[in-house]
Amino acid sequence: MEGVPEHPEDGSTEQGRSLVWRLVRSAAMWVVPALLFTAFSLIWFYQASTYKNFNDPLVNTIQALVANIEDDPLSETADARIILANQPIDARYQLALSGRYWMVGELQDDGILVPIISSLSLSDSTLKLATKDADNIRAKQGEVIRAFSIGPDNEPLSLAAQSVIFNDQNLVIVAAADRRPARQAVRQFSLIALGLLTVLAMGLTLAIYMQVRLGLAPLFELRDRVVDIREGRAKAVKGRYPKEIKPLADELNSLIGHNRDVVEYARTHVANLAHALKTPLAVLMNEADGKKSKLANIVTKQTGIMNKQVDHHLRRARAAARGQSIGEKTPVADTVNSLVRTLGRIYRDKDLDFELDIEERLMFRGEKRDLEEMVGNLLDNACKWTNAKINVVVETDTGETAKIRITIDDDGSGMAVDQYENVLKRGTRLDETTPGTGFGLSIVNDLAKAYNGSLTLDKSPLGGLRAVLVIPMVRG
Amino acid sequence: MRILIVEDDPDLGRQLSEALGDAGYAVDKATDGEEGHFLGDTEPYDAVVLDLGLPVIDGISILQKWRADGKDFPVLILTARDQWSEKVAGFDAGADDYLTKPFHTEELLARLRALVRRAAGHTTDTIDIGGLTVDNRAGRAFVDGSPIKLTSHEFRLLSYMAMHVDKVISRTELVEHIYDQDFDRDSNTIEVFIGRLRRKIGVNRIETVRGLGYRLVDPEEDPGGEKT
Repeated sequence: MEGVPEHPEDGSTEQGRSLVWRLVRSAAMWVVPALLFTAFSLIWFYQASTYKNFNDPLVNTIQALVANIEDDPLSETADARIILANQPIDARYQLALSGRYWMVGELQDDGILVPIISSLSLSDSTLKLATKDADNIRAKQGEVIRAFSIGPDNEPLSLAAQSVIFNDQNLVIVAAADRRPARQAVRQFSLIALGLLTVLAMGLTLAIYMQVRLGLAPLFELRDRVVDIREGRAKAVKGRYPKEIKPLADELNSLIGHNRDVVEYARTHVANLAHALKTPLAVLMNEADGKKSKLANIVTKQTGIMNKQVDHHLRRARAAARGQSIGEKTPVADTVNSLVRTLGRIYRDKDLDFELDIEERLMFRGEKRDLEEMVGNLLDNACKWTNAKINVVVETDTGETAKIRITIDDDGSGMAVDQYENVLKRGTRLDETTPGTGFGLSIVNDLAKAYNGSLTLDKSPLGGLRAVLVIPMVRG
Repeated sequence: MRILIVEDDPDLGRQLSEALGDAGYAVDKATDGEEGHFLGDTEPYDAVVLDLGLPVIDGISILQKWRADGKDFPVLILTARDQWSEKVAGFDAGADDYLTKPFHTEELLARLRALVRRAAGHTTDTIDIGGLTVDNRAGRAFVDGSPIKLTSHEFRLLSYMAMHVDKVISRTELVEHIYDQDFDRDSNTIEVFIGRLRRKIGVNRIETVRGLGYRLVDPEEDPGGEKT
């Protein structure tokens, strides 16, 4: 009865438990590494090809220089001097500090290159070699060696060098180029590639999110329909569902149906038993009524107890079945009107003056018979004690949750304030119950509580009792 | 006054008919819905005590049928079902009162009396017609304050006529309302009863309207007048 939450909150807003979040996260777990791998592969390939394009001309220059080295016919010294038959044609070799250099020189033992002929771009400088590169060149005679160095303009250089023996002279031929343009190109490419792939990753994630939302839409739909049932807007899960979750929807419906059947079964069986006992009880009571024998006394007393027991357990069974059935809603105005009509007939000798102020279209979240029990007992009590006037107001409760407030006033003599609590509590324990005044109010109180509502008593402005019943409403 | 009891429990039916008989009513009994419906449909009852859970046809359906056919006798529903939904359904079907089992016989009798007199347009159980007092509650009659001895049939006759004071009542109507269905109905016996009644309450209180029937009047007020 009290276990029914007011708002079954869905888990999807909570990130850790969201199905959408799980799916997007697991997709991201392979999308992001795949894209990163792609990015670094692309950058690596681009870098390799860029440096290849950059280094090939250096080797060509070395080959051209090797091919063009000749004896200097004008040399008169013992040291054979060399000249170049043709100089490499690239204009950048002519411009000072252009970033493209070549030279032919001698490698001294201490690793310093002494230029013999060099490109104009080198001005008066020389190309420096690290010691280990110098050793390398010496060790690998005739092979093109690659190395890094610092240029005359302090620029980072990439160089190619080859050691050749010309006329017993040990020459080293070096070509160098500024590394920065290539580095710049690779960096630029890396930035663009990474940027594009990041955009792609974000796009893919968004697409996955959309796909998941779309794919799970029937599931969200199902969730909303279940909420509808819980809040009394529908009696069963409706709509068409994909074949994966259709069994779930069908199962839910049959469960709701089963629940309804069980509740109905429990209720009707206890009711049937109770009602079946009432007629024999009536016979026994009538038979013993007014007779003076010992037997008659016992029968009167015991049938009275039996009758109370039956009433008590019938009420218990009804209360137990209450709030268990889901998806029920009842129009309040119709119910109140028909009860007023009925009570007008029951108390027709009293000439009652009902004043009704009923908000239309309010829906009680619960069963009709329960609403009738609550309002019927309150109205009956008012009819019993009033002089003539009874006011009934049905309105939306001003509280934060959606509730209906029913206020019933009468102009009778009312009851003492210290009796209110007593009257509402009566009937909770069998031995305290005595049929009569106020018995109906305790039924209303139990019922209202079963529906998470309330019944409060107060002094009426009309002079008699004011009963305020607050019960849940169906929203939307 | 003639009452129909529709009750499937034989013991309760017997108790009811005994109690009502003792209270001065002519009583017919039906033990299932079909018989109950038939009797109500064909006999002019002054009131009906109707159980709801009946074999063959349930009480609410019977009541709806009667009302749909224009039967307007007062109906008291006597049932074990005590929920408001059932009361509302009962009254909406056309019931005039609703009593739940178990009940006290006095309560039932009081409610029936109220139904019968209300149907006849009276507000109290005691009807006073120029010195003739008919106390339906105690089942006794007085002339100028002194009690008169009446058999149960005589009282039933007087009570019915008092309920419909100043109205012409045919012999057939009298027969139908003071005898139960098992009684050997001979409208000549009505004349005998009328004769006895006149001797006990005063000859001029009951007029014979030739070819139409009888009329209970206040002899002081308007002897032989055409009042309706």
